[in-house]
Amino acid sequence: MKKLLSALTVLAVAFFTVSGAHAAAAGKRVTVTGEIVDTWCYVTEIMYGLGTAHHQCAVWCAIGGIPVSVLGEDGNVYVVLKVEEDGTNVANPRIINIQTHKVTVDGDLYERDGVKYLIVTQVVDDKGIVNLTHEEYGIQPFGK
Amino acid sequence: MKRTLSILFTAAFLIGPGASQAAEEWGIDGEKKARFEAKVVDVLCELTGDCPADCGSGKRQLGLLKDDGTLILAVKNFDIFAGAADDLKGFCNKRIVADGLLINNPKMPLFALQYKKLAPDGKWSRANQFGKEWSKANGGKKAGQWFKNDPRIKKAIAEKGVFGIPGLKPKK
Ligand SMILES: [Cu+2]
Repeated sequence: MKKLLSALTVLAVAFFTVSGAHAAAAGKRVTVTGEIVDTWCYVTEIMYGLGTAHHQCAVWCAIGGIPVSVLGEDGNVYVVLKVEEDGTNVANPRIINIQTHKVTVDGDLYERDGVKYLIVTQVVDDKGIVNLTHEEYGIQPFGK
Repeated sequence: MKRTLSILFTAAFLIGPGASQAAEEWGIDGEKKARFEAKVVDVLCELTGDCPADCGSGKRQLGLLKDDGTLILAVKNFDIFAGAADDLKGFCNKRIVADGLLINNPKMPLFALQYKKLAPDGKWSRANQFGKEWSKANGGKKAGQWFKNDPRIKKAIAEKGVFGIPGLKPKK
């Protein structure tokens, strides 16, 4: 009996170790406030990538399928992988519709290899576009 | 600004069909040419276990999972203002050789895919699948200026204006 129990224990440990290694880790619950941005233009700084000045380009990039992020007030870039029930994240009309808006979202944060990925479970506040940058930066990147 | 335009246009227009299948520099801070083997994965699936068929068929952001477990987000392809999901969706859960630029930026790492092939010895192709599919979906129109001609973009800009705020117009 003792032998059987110890054999079962070994099996159980082996099972949970293996399944643990493959199961996706749970995200961390977070609330993020910030501006919806195009990940590529904002991070690379190949042009001025925030607010009204960059809105049109941010729409181009989102429809072109570049990942969209929330630039948090904490300075972090959160790549949005899901918004509420919609599990698509390439040229998602829901996300494009709130491009450049200042939002507060609840979500699950997954950090992996230097990237913060956000699964938005709820958009709790949407202030619309409030970052007026066009007076200073015009229309990025071509001026029209 | 001059530099920006040269980056944008070099990528989209100036590289002829004879260009070699090796990453080229775009002049972005922190960029480094990179060629590596990796498995193409749906990032949301990889992180959470929410895994639709065929890695979402182009509707999911895709990543490159290296043998050491590192997940690299493919942010950009070779087309102007476009991502890499269309280039990678055909390789869902397969190993490819990816060629492009790894951009080591303190905000987050980025990868721009420029060429890809099935590992180990498939045929190289340029990562410009977005433009090809856009052309097909738009009556064969050339994709070089796709962002000026896309009906979804035209509609969005007609409704909200270039600044995203209805009624707010650029000064003449
Ligand atoms: Cu831009």
